[in-house]
Amino acid sequence: MAKEKMKGKATGEDNLKGTLASVFLLGFFLIFTWVSVYYLFLERL
Amino acid sequence: MNEMVKVDRRDAKLALAHIYVAFIALGLGGLAGLLQTLVRSGKFELPANISYYTILTTHGVLLGLVLTTFFIIGFQFAAVSRTAGTFSDRVRFWGWVGFWLMTVGTAITAFFILIGQASVLYTFYAPLQAHPGFYLGLTLVVVGSWVSGFAIFAHYARWKKEHPKQVSPLLTFMAVANMILWLVCSLGVAATVLIQLLPWSLGLVDRVNVLVSRTLFWYFGHPLVYFWLLPAYMVWYAIVPKIIGGKIFSDSLARLSFILFLFFSIPVGFHHQLMEPGIDPFWKYVQVVLTFMVAIPSLMTAFAMFATFELYGRSKGATGLFGWLRKLPWGDARFFAPFVGMVFFIPAGAGGLVNASHQLDQVVHNTIWITGHFHLTLATTVVLTFFGAAYWLVPHLSGRVMTKAMNRLAIIQTIVWVIGMTFMSGSMHFEGLLGAPRRSAFSTYGNSPQALEWIPYQIAQAVGGTILFIGIILVLIIITNLAFFAPKGETEFPVAEVAEGAERTPLAMENWKLWIGITVALILIAYTIPFIDMIQNAPPGSKGYKLW
Repeated sequence: MAKEKMKGKATGEDNLKGTLASVFLLGFFLIFTWVSVYYLFLERL
Repeated sequence: MNEMVKVDRRDAKLALAHIYVAFIALGLGGLAGLLQTLVRSGKFELPANISYYTILTTHGVLLGLVLTTFFIIGFQFAAVSRTAGTFSDRVRFWGWVGFWLMTVGTAITAFFILIGQASVLYTFYAPLQAHPGFYLGLTLVVVGSWVSGFAIFAHYARWKKEHPKQVSPLLTFMAVANMILWLVCSLGVAATVLIQLLPWSLGLVDRVNVLVSRTLFWYFGHPLVYFWLLPAYMVWYAIVPKIIGGKIFSDSLARLSFILFLFFSIPVGFHHQLMEPGIDPFWKYVQVVLTFMVAIPSLMTAFAMFATFELYGRSKGATGLFGWLRKLPWGDARFFAPFVGMVFFIPAGAGGLVNASHQLDQVVHNTIWITGHFHLTLATTVVLTFFGAAYWLVPHLSGRVMTKAMNRLAIIQTIVWVIGMTFMSGSMHFEGLLGAPRRSAFSTYGNSPQALEWIPYQIAQAVGGTILFIGIILVLIIITNLAFFAPKGETEFPVAEVAEGAERTPLAMENWKLWIGITVALILIAYTIPFIDMIQNAPPGSKGYKLW
């Protein structure tokens, strides 16, 4: 039964587009922070 | 099915005893923290010759070790009793033995710190040498936690025996995973304290191998962070979905993330020692790679949380890309406080990736950026989640209910915390990037222009620290109310169910022999050769220093 639902077409309730967008935003923030401090490291070499 | 499952009264008493000690530690440790930020502003001096470093040690030990360990063990006792059934008299007896060992140990440690014989900070790095009583007290805290861990394991084993071929309740599984993690990692701190520091402080040996002691400390110290964090993840994965009226996105994913934490949170201690000589860069590199692996289960958790919230919001008719956010119960402090904790974990995690990168660590190492970092991870993400959990756990255990007024106060408390921490941790981060050191009292360093630049940030920290202390007073009012004065009644211990669409959890998830085997193998790979190297090529060792 669980599998049937998994295979079914995504309905409004199964829509995880917001989650996809959220994890992308999170990833961009992590990369931005890392690159910012890396830039500081390079500047101070 | 819908009947309220309550933690047995006798088990509730055991859990509550831990939680009381935790909140007493919060009050005292928080006061020490306030004094520190005031001293560092340069506008305040401690009275009666009290040393800044005594206060700093008090703060770190009471909040980093006592508040956390007591709350976590109390919470886990309650969670295991709630989901795997009431404890046997024997398990409960050993739970009390663990509690008293930890409490007596805390009292001994606190005594030697407060009389100024152990201003060695909570990391107690050699060659700073404390009174032997300090190490003895800490040993009792760790041994007590082991006793409690084995009590949980015994209860879990009985459940497995009574429920063959069944997957254990998620919260019990998570508590077991966290206590295995704790047991494996605390062997390192036990080794350095019992083999190195205690004999050295007793005068039985003159010198100590500093690098070995620091390595053993960080073998313990990084997984310690995950020992704090995993109970917060227990709340996020298994309790918050129930509070919002949703379901657990995936039971298997939650368990897998805990197993990955067990694997990757221990063999990573070198990322705290990237600036130290005496460790081959290759082994530092290996442990940096493993550190980045430990980011994966946290990212899995972030995904699962977003998905839980979105599925719930959409089931309530939310539309648009982020419309589901509006459907969440913002007025419920049991949700609001942990949610804010989750949000703060985003900058906290980003900072963690910086700290763990060898080159970037050169920018921030031993600066107050690091202090800012762990005030986001522990003092916001973990602590706000613990506060949010206490808002239902304490009344559940004390047989009372949270009133609307207290809920409102808890929402205000969370907002106060956010404001205070944004000021304090934010300014710590920026000041750290300007090179300001951590672990140091106020100084203008001979009026050096660079040090004078730091002062405005230190004043901002004092403002933030003061606001946070108001937050501590508020949470203590709420907890005292919930424990002793709130109206009598029944409060739910929320435990979420798994979403209908989720796959069944495979039994193999509980193959502990395999998980522990992989954990040990990774530890041996990451540590054996550099550790042999440290001992074979050891310098003569250092005598002890008491700089206070």
